[in-house]
Amino acid sequence: MIAPRLGHANLGLGVGLRTAHFAHVLEHFPAVDWFEIISENFIDSQGRPRYVLDQIAERYPVVMHGVSLSIGSTDPLDFDYLARLKRLADAIEPRWISDHLCWTGVLGLNAHDLLPLPLNEETLAHVVARVRTVQDFLERPLMLENPSSYVTFAASTISEWEFLRRMADEADCGLLLDVNNVYVSSVNHDFDPVEYIERLPHERIVQCHLAGHANCETHLIDTHDNHVIDPVWRLYRKAHALTGGVSTLLEWDARIPEFPVVHAEVLKARQYMTPDGDEPLPADRPAAGLFAGASPGGPSATMGATPHPLHFIGREVQ
Amino acid sequence: MTPHDDSPLARIQRWMQAVITHPGGVAEGAASDDARCHLADSPSGIEQVISRSQRLTSEERLAIYSHAYFARLLECLRAVFPYVAKTIGEEAFDDLALGYLERYPSRSYTLDRLGAEFPRYLEETRPDRDAEGRPTETWPDFLIELAKLEWVIGEVFDGPGVEGQPVLSADDLTAIPAERWPQARLKFVPCWRLLAFRFPLNDFYTALRNEEPPEIPEPAETFLALTRRDYIVRRHRLDRTQFELLSALAAGRPIGAAIEQAAKVAGPDLEGFVANLQSSFRDWTAAGFFQATDL
Repeated sequence: MIAPRLGHANLGLGVGLRTAHFAHVLEHFPAVDWFEIISENFIDSQGRPRYVLDQIAERYPVVMHGVSLSIGSTDPLDFDYLARLKRLADAIEPRWISDHLCWTGVLGLNAHDLLPLPLNEETLAHVVARVRTVQDFLERPLMLENPSSYVTFAASTISEWEFLRRMADEADCGLLLDVNNVYVSSVNHDFDPVEYIERLPHERIVQCHLAGHANCETHLIDTHDNHVIDPVWRLYRKAHALTGGVSTLLEWDARIPEFPVVHAEVLKARQYMTPDGDEPLPADRPAAGLFAGASPGGPSATMGATPHPLHFIGREVQ
Repeated sequence: MTPHDDSPLARIQRWMQAVITHPGGVAEGAASDDARCHLADSPSGIEQVISRSQRLTSEERLAIYSHAYFARLLECLRAVFPYVAKTIGEEAFDDLALGYLERYPSRSYTLDRLGAEFPRYLEETRPDRDAEGRPTETWPDFLIELAKLEWVIGEVFDGPGVEGQPVLSADDLTAIPAERWPQARLKFVPCWRLLAFRFPLNDFYTALRNEEPPEIPEPAETFLALTRRDYIVRRHRLDRTQFELLSALAAGRPIGAAIEQAAKVAGPDLEGFVANLQSSFRDWTAAGFFQATDL
């Protein structure tokens, strides 16, 4: 019998820590339940980013979320990176460490993108073995997130939800369910997002992500540059009901508004912690229905939209 | 698995990386030898690897990753070298950056290192060499120096510092007995850097911070020290003799010998150099250049 959330606490409603909000957070220490950091922004920092993180880790629960683990790559695992990750974790004591079901490069290169994997038995065995190795090295369970994706492979033979279920069971790891990513990928790959969320192993979901995306009409791009749209909120309601409630975090990575706006966005999640009622879920969406829940400003981007992640901290010079 | 693994997964990943990072786009990328060598059984490429969706072809879908690869890394390079980009214009900068990414693609888990070889790339690709390979213009030198300055600023910003630690104060310096001064050595803080330029880089940097238009200045030898206090990078203008003095001190020479070395380049300014020594050391300790003395 697996405990809900793999036994981890429900931390409540958190916000992804971004450079643009450093000054606000240090000045006001706002009443946020918890923060998630991008691990790579801090693992080598010996300057202001690390100073800010230390201040925050003293006062809030913190989770480390990475973008460079490259768990699905056929390159060897980067143990130098893992050692740095572990060193930071030992210092700030995050509640858990997460990354993505993806690869970021091969032949020693890093595309700095969350590239999708062909989902089949070969990939599953490869990823499971590597998750076990990483968990042994970090001496902590790893949570892996479903990425937004824009291609599927002819070599795939397993649905993403089934892959995640089997991976989590076989590697004994947790899942970070990005509800927006489910929605983005469901539109891009023509699958039912409700079925996806229903079929996941809910007791292994430790955390949820929420974010906005860009509607490019023929596809969606995970830009993290806008409000969460209504269909994603309705999926979140479903996920909340099925998991019994998990730590929930809003990511806002481009065109970042003032901190109170970002915080207010994640607090909307409270409205979706009640049963569905008669509200239809976006299971059968006509083409026009894709845009029905767009934020007041309308679709936020064009074909030129850049997917998350871009994580680089600007310098402060006098 | 190893990088030489020839599994289907390894071949798909190498193929996809070659396609989406090809500067000519995914169609050219898929047709390139770099991509085709990984999928020998599928010479026509994309459709046999990537499924299409109801609204996009396989090529269109893959192009999203290609676009993202370049857009993301160009945005990062613009953030690391904002004033190089402002000086030459976004279009020219992006052209340079695309060439840079092709020659020096990221091999690190962090974007912080993406621009490490950019000054070298500017040097390698400067367009003004004559038949013997000698530079014929000065403006490329300016851009290379500006890129170096922007890179070093980044190193100082997020590298080791001394916030929360004691640094050498003016009182600490004056407490050194006069007879021991000549043999004393100074240890610099780890965030301190000394730079010499063939152009007035510091004034140019200040002008761009003040949002003045970027006009490449005439050559003029200038000197600059960088350090970090309270997590902000600080710039300190130096003259030639101050640069010589600090160079000697940073090389580990005793204060007396360092002053003698600097005095040699002072020329007709020797009197002024000597007269200003005390105020120079006072300014440098106030700026937190030194961590300790070695008596």
